[in-house]
Amino acid sequence: MSSKSRTRHFGLVAVLLLLAFALSACPAQPVAPVQPPSEAEPPSLVTITFVQEPDNLSPLYTTMWFSGILNDFWLLGLWNFNDNLEPTPQLAREIPSAANGGISEDGRTITIHLREDARWSDGTPVTAADFVFTYEMIMDERNAVISRHPYDQFVAGVEAAGDHTLVVTFHEPYAPWLSSIFTYVLPKHILEPVMKANGTLDGADWNRNPTVGVGPYVFKEWESGSHLLFERNPNHWQQPNIDRIFIRITPDDAAQVAAIKAGDTDIGVFISFSDVPELEALGTVNVVSTPSGFMEGWFFNFGEQAHPAIRDRNVRWALAHGFDRWQITQDLLLGLSEPPASPWDLSPYASPNIQPVPYDPERAAQLLDEAGWVMDADGVREKDGEKLILRYVTNMRRLRLDTQVVVQDMFRDLGVRFELINHPSDIFFASYAEGGVIATGQYDIAQWSSQPEAYPDPDTSRWTCREIPTPDNPAGSNWNFYCNPELDELFARQAVTVDMEARIALFEEIEKIIQEDMIWLGVWQDNDIWTVSKRLSNVRLSGADPFWNAANWTLE
Amino acid sequence: MSSMAGPARRSAVSTTTEFGDVQTKGGALSPWRLAWRRFVRHRMAMVGAIILLLLILYVVVGALIFSEAYANQTATFKRLQGPSWEHPFGTDPVGRDVLARTIYGGHISLSIGISAMLVSVVVGVLIGAIAGYYGGAIDSILMRFTEAVFNIPSLFLLIVMAKFFSGRIPTVELFGRSFSGSVIVIIVVIGLTSWMYLARIVRANYLSLKEREFVLAARCLGVPNRRIILFHILPNTLAPIIVTATLGVAAAILSEAYVSFLGLGVQPPTASWGNMLDGSYVYLESAPWLWFFPGLLIVLTVLSINFVGDGLRDALDPRSLTK
Amino acid sequence: MTRYIIRRILQAIPLLFIISVILFALMMNMGDPLATLGGRQPPRGEDRLRLARQLGLDQPIYMQYIFWLVGNDWMRFDTTGDGVPNTYGTRRGILRGDWGTSLVTRRPVVEMIWQRLPNTLLLMGTAQVVIIVFSLAIGIYSALRQYSITDHVITTGAFIGYSMPIFWLALMLMYIFAVNFKKWGLPYFPTVGMYDPAVGRTFSQVVWHMALPVATLSVTAIAAYSRYIRASMLEVINQDYIRTARSKGLPERFILWRHALKNASLPLVTLIGLDLPLLLAGAVVTERIFAWPGMGRLFLDHVERADYPVLMGILMLVSIAVVVFQILTDIVYTYLDPRIRYS
Repeated sequence: MSSKSRTRHFGLVAVLLLLAFALSACPAQPVAPVQPPSEAEPPSLVTITFVQEPDNLSPLYTTMWFSGILNDFWLLGLWNFNDNLEPTPQLAREIPSAANGGISEDGRTITIHLREDARWSDGTPVTAADFVFTYEMIMDERNAVISRHPYDQFVAGVEAAGDHTLVVTFHEPYAPWLSSIFTYVLPKHILEPVMKANGTLDGADWNRNPTVGVGPYVFKEWESGSHLLFERNPNHWQQPNIDRIFIRITPDDAAQVAAIKAGDTDIGVFISFSDVPELEALGTVNVVSTPSGFMEGWFFNFGEQAHPAIRDRNVRWALAHGFDRWQITQDLLLGLSEPPASPWDLSPYASPNIQPVPYDPERAAQLLDEAGWVMDADGVREKDGEKLILRYVTNMRRLRLDTQVVVQDMFRDLGVRFELINHPSDIFFASYAEGGVIATGQYDIAQWSSQPEAYPDPDTSRWTCREIPTPDNPAGSNWNFYCNPELDELFARQAVTVDMEARIALFEEIEKIIQEDMIWLGVWQDNDIWTVSKRLSNVRLSGADPFWNAANWTLE
Repeated sequence: MSSMAGPARRSAVSTTTEFGDVQTKGGALSPWRLAWRRFVRHRMAMVGAIILLLLILYVVVGALIFSEAYANQTATFKRLQGPSWEHPFGTDPVGRDVLARTIYGGHISLSIGISAMLVSVVVGVLIGAIAGYYGGAIDSILMRFTEAVFNIPSLFLLIVMAKFFSGRIPTVELFGRSFSGSVIVIIVVIGLTSWMYLARIVRANYLSLKEREFVLAARCLGVPNRRIILFHILPNTLAPIIVTATLGVAAAILSEAYVSFLGLGVQPPTASWGNMLDGSYVYLESAPWLWFFPGLLIVLTVLSINFVGDGLRDALDPRSLTK
Repeated sequence: MTRYIIRRILQAIPLLFIISVILFALMMNMGDPLATLGGRQPPRGEDRLRLARQLGLDQPIYMQYIFWLVGNDWMRFDTTGDGVPNTYGTRRGILRGDWGTSLVTRRPVVEMIWQRLPNTLLLMGTAQVVIIVFSLAIGIYSALRQYSITDHVITTGAFIGYSMPIFWLALMLMYIFAVNFKKWGLPYFPTVGMYDPAVGRTFSQVVWHMALPVATLSVTAIAAYSRYIRASMLEVINQDYIRTARSKGLPERFILWRHALKNASLPLVTLIGLDLPLLLAGAVVTERIFAWPGMGRLFLDHVERADYPVLMGILMLVSIAVVVFQILTDIVYTYLDPRIRYS
């Protein structure tokens, strides 16, 4: 009996093995995702991998980077920024300037002439009325839009002077206008009826299925968790060389790297530093690094909840000297980045006279001694009975967690201890009203990557006194709690200084104060890293609007 | 409710004593000794006990060989090196020795397993005992609550609670070592998501035991309820508690691994077997030693505890005699 | 029986109510959903204050719970920020079938869950079939050969399977069947996703992508289930009526399948009944590792962003399923075992 059922058992195993082999015998057959049209040649296709899926596509409802970079395909603004970060006209005929009369003498009024041949993908002309509608929708209380910047604080009004002339008026001269106004436009003829019917655009189908747009491509389909597809827009003024753009959503870095290696994707996005050597060795792709304006840095807390040592300038300088950031950029970032000297590093506003604070542990020890923090028997510095143990807070990004433990180790001999704390981003960046860790100042050193609010414009309100969050001002963005009237004055002046040379000079003074007072310490330049397949040419990725010249890409 | 109460299980010791005095004189027939005899004869339980002992030796002796400072020492120039004589388990992305980290991670994982089990036993016994002993409205409120928590799949509850408590407890200093506050958070969270099963068993035992003569006698003598619950009935329901608690340690170690694997568990620099695995699947191909060794230790630990628990169940459950 | 079912359903209502209160209280303190809306940089303070007002996040927790439960279309809100309530809300609440709108994607929660549910059911349903088939086979086999070497090997194997963290098993399977098979030039399994988007959602693609996650999910459960089946088979085999059947000279196979298995499957029914709703939850970890676009991954993606409407939706759906399946299990039980009567 036993042998009989053993044979039965083996039979079962055999069937399963056969099944397994049958399954393994049908490997994936790569086919084009869509049936080629009746023409002789199949449509040309460029595949781009995204490691995150956009929340939605309407720029009204998301400011997510992965959604925003798609706009250059299907929803152009007045202009975008090329790979040299210079404005390139799109829906505007030219960039307004004082010379061409686009900027009024008082600097408060900008007049923009629109392209007359611009058409929505359904053939309707793009007019100034669309822009006015866009402005109204952003400001309408019934729409819970993500950002009203800069319209709520700086823009006095948007008017149409004829079909193809747009006039934007500011309360006072506003230097960052170029990178902040009308980075996108909404199709009035599609969305106005929706607004009338629903009283809001919040749930509009267009947010997810924007079948009408303006750009070299037009949105075709989006399958959640899988892909997005864009097709050539026949009504665009410049016909792109490539027929289709296929956005493939990969769940994580490892899957993206695998796709790049297998040649399944033409453009890899947001590549981890640690994957670069492997990808460079492939020979089939070019690795491109674009300055995104993001700089990883240490934010020191000047608030009342900070450790007393942190509020001492000498201690902050000692921390800067004691922190070998080159070890991080060389070993953890594989030499692909450098410690930035200022928050505006790699931009025209970075002063050549400001250099990163050098690594000098002896100087660090000396500064700490001078500040009265002396080494104790247990190897931790102490002053007035208080130990030098600092709360070093960051969020869950892997590279940051790794940096934390390296830093902790690095400062051991200096007698500085760190309490490492990390939070998920939704707790780390929670608002003042929600008791956010950083917003309410429950840290000594916080590390994250920041970018000027309207990159590539350098303007920021991050370090001004009036932005310090308080119960009366819960929206405040100065999470360093730093206040220096001199710096306030400089920031106020640069914001109204439209002349670039003068503005650069002001920024040099700003950077000097930031470094001398050691408000912020750069850790690494958080560039965006891409891979571009060698079969693609003319892809000139920009740090601000990566796909700005998508219409010019060519495929071999 | 019928599915919930279940048959009141008779514990091995309940028939022999009154007033909860479990120490029977005379030796040979003591139920505890019988149980012990059954346990040592249980082959798998003994194998489990030996593996467990070796694992405890590993983390205890290991800590004598490698200092904690060594386990936390970074050396970014030799990151992600494969196993070698110098680093038998290889190095991690910041160049720390994986072997030393599995030793100190073991301390954390095992402590979490035991402490979380204690939390869940205290909560489970308390709720079960009060519900079973007092009955009536208290019982039905407590059991409704128990059932509600029971109905939420535990991993979901674990994740939500871990996020709820995360970062609220600062670093703690204990025995001259500092631990990330997240260790405490994880202990509490695992404890609070795993007491429901025990509460039901304890309640059922109390329901049946409270009607027994020795409890009635104690009540007549005016012994306060609290004393009856703790000193008269509790010792008589120890057997299922011991078994559940033992298996609970294994479950807690697994839970810690799951939560840490999802990045919501123990936070660096404190190592645990679970958080050593977090993020290591990025290195699935390029550095398999990162996830292989901590995972193997988890499997061995959980396996041996399950063996021991199974042996205890057979030893303490008189029904197993009939087998 | 009908009265019993009705009573169970009535009892379930306060239960679900308690669950929703517990979960909602936890969700409200879990993080700031507005913090991650900007992607790489948190949104501006002014925008966050306005959004909190517009999305009702500035209301006290109990009010937010009431809105979630019964909606807010009966109450005026201040949308302009001048302190004067001016507009009625638009939510209808879960009791009136409105599961809310995701705070991050602005899509209806029902729509988002509905999109993921079939994927999870597919993965889990397949795993469940594999689990039942294998655990029955293994359980019966080892019961019939109690204390044989094979039985011991199977028992040990079951313990190992049961003790293995799912994610570690997943990593091992991926390492062997994807990474190394590829290296050795064998047909290898894909590790992520449900199908290759360049190929499309074809039958063979989905089956191919499902192999490793299903294997991962099954091993632990097979280990546990086969132990139960073995135990209950042993119990049944030693009972009098089986001995009677044997002494009557009925064929062994007939006894096994007609008598023993039917009675031994009782505990399996309970197990499956209690585990089935967890299918909806998806094995969170498995879906995460294999990037399976199911509910478990949806849950994790939105936990990271404290998107409570989506999380509440998923958890309530799972809780309802748990309750429903408990009742169903009890009913099925009476059919299998006529000795059980509910009053």
